[in-house]
Amino acid sequence: MSGDPYSERVRDLFASPAHAGNLEDAVSIFVSDQGVRLFLCAQCENDRIMALRFRAWGCPHVIAAAEAFCDEFEGRQVRDLLEFSSSGLMQSLPVPVEKTGRILVLEDAVRALGTSLRDSR
Amino acid sequence: MAEAADFIYLDYAASTPVDPRVVEAMFSLLSADGNHANPSSTHVGGRRAVECIAHAAEQLAQLLNTKPARLIWTSGATESDNLAIVGAARHREHRGKHLITMRTEHKAVTDVFEALARQGFEVSWLEPGPDGVLAADALEDAIREDTQLVSIMHVNNETGVVQNIERIGEACREHGVVFHVDAAQSVGKLPVDLSALPVDLMSMTAHKMYGPKGIGALYIADRPGVGVEPQLFGGGQQRRLRPGTQPTHQIAGFGQAAAIARESMQQDFEHLRRLRERLWAGIAHIPGVVVNGSLEAGFPGILNVSVEDIEGESLLLALEPLCVATGSACNSKSQEPSYVLRALGRSDALAQSAIRFSIGRRTTTTEIDLAIRKYSDAVTRLRGIAPEQAG
Repeated sequence: MSGDPYSERVRDLFASPAHAGNLEDAVSIFVSDQGVRLFLCAQCENDRIMALRFRAWGCPHVIAAAEAFCDEFEGRQVRDLLEFSSSGLMQSLPVPVEKTGRILVLEDAVRALGTSLRDSR
Repeated sequence: MAEAADFIYLDYAASTPVDPRVVEAMFSLLSADGNHANPSSTHVGGRRAVECIAHAAEQLAQLLNTKPARLIWTSGATESDNLAIVGAARHREHRGKHLITMRTEHKAVTDVFEALARQGFEVSWLEPGPDGVLAADALEDAIREDTQLVSIMHVNNETGVVQNIERIGEACREHGVVFHVDAAQSVGKLPVDLSALPVDLMSMTAHKMYGPKGIGALYIADRPGVGVEPQLFGGGQQRRLRPGTQPTHQIAGFGQAAAIARESMQQDFEHLRRLRERLWAGIAHIPGVVVNGSLEAGFPGILNVSVEDIEGESLLLALEPLCVATGSACNSKSQEPSYVLRALGRSDALAQSAIRFSIGRRTTTTEIDLAIRKYSDAVTRLRGIAPEQAG
């Protein structure tokens, strides 16, 4: 047992979050819950997500999960955000069970972003 | 397993590397040619092991300016704390069941008092001031006619705050109360003169002063009313106060570490003072950085700082390869803010961002400069990622 609470993937995503930042003329959402503050923004063309960015105040798993989400969902459809589930990220990063609540904050934020994008059209 | 060059070790308050001279003293006892015999044996091998232990006791006693006979070997400070607190409370419970300690003690003390409280003792918990120091009149106000034991640590393991154990001990003597000091962070680093200090019981450990893990000691003053009931049973060693085969090589290592500390204490102290000043000067300008505890009342081997609007766990990871602590190492896997910093009045958020840098004999200015750069960069980067909206 290594005792390392972070996987290599979490370490890489935390160290180099390429999607951290803001976008001009974007739809955005901000949530604050469970000791996590999360800002997500997206630019879309028709129903396609062209760019995603995030800002996060939270533990390394939250920052890694936000980066992984942005990387995975650029190029996807807005409706995919409405159906987003964090269970895949929980397993692939992975995220320890005691931090489930924090990753559910990301799930709530993604779905809220999807709703805002849908309503803004 | 990480190699030594992979990280910068700034966690000396958690544990220190064993001095090579200590390793040599221990290693020579382990082989067939060394004094490996059981010191309880009466044959020549056993008698030689006893001589080794007596020599180590002399070395430790010289560091503390006391007599070797006043020292009991234990497995470390946690066991010493348990033996001192439970042992003294039981020894004097026929006189009264009121005990006093502080909120900012190590878990090896607070958990023992909580256990005693569940067993019918009454415990008063003293609060420190914002600088971590116990106010002069706080103890006097708390002592009652039925008070039997006061336990206050010398140097706080998280903040480095130094309590005035001389003044506290005098108040205890005045009221006929036994005084225990957890000195795990001070023995070997600050002068401790037990021939002059009004201290009845003192816990210490080797691995905080360049000795091995797994060996500690408890000082028991030779004074009427001072004593401990044993907590272990199974042999007659150490006047039945702490039975069990004595680990000769561990004890010899502790003795050697004590002898080295006696020689180098002043030089070590100046080294720590210079490096802590350099570290603080390098990070003090960062907006929102505050010292937890007090630079003036603090042991210079420890600098504990918090920073506003930074998440502590992310800060710790961003600081790698620095080996630093978020609180006491015993508690560092917990996500809860430090109870010590909360007792100093820090908010949960500020306490959660706390980083304890602890400096040692081998720390270099290059390592301190790297720590300054890493801390500054980490705070800048995490603030850059954080949302602009206030939470």
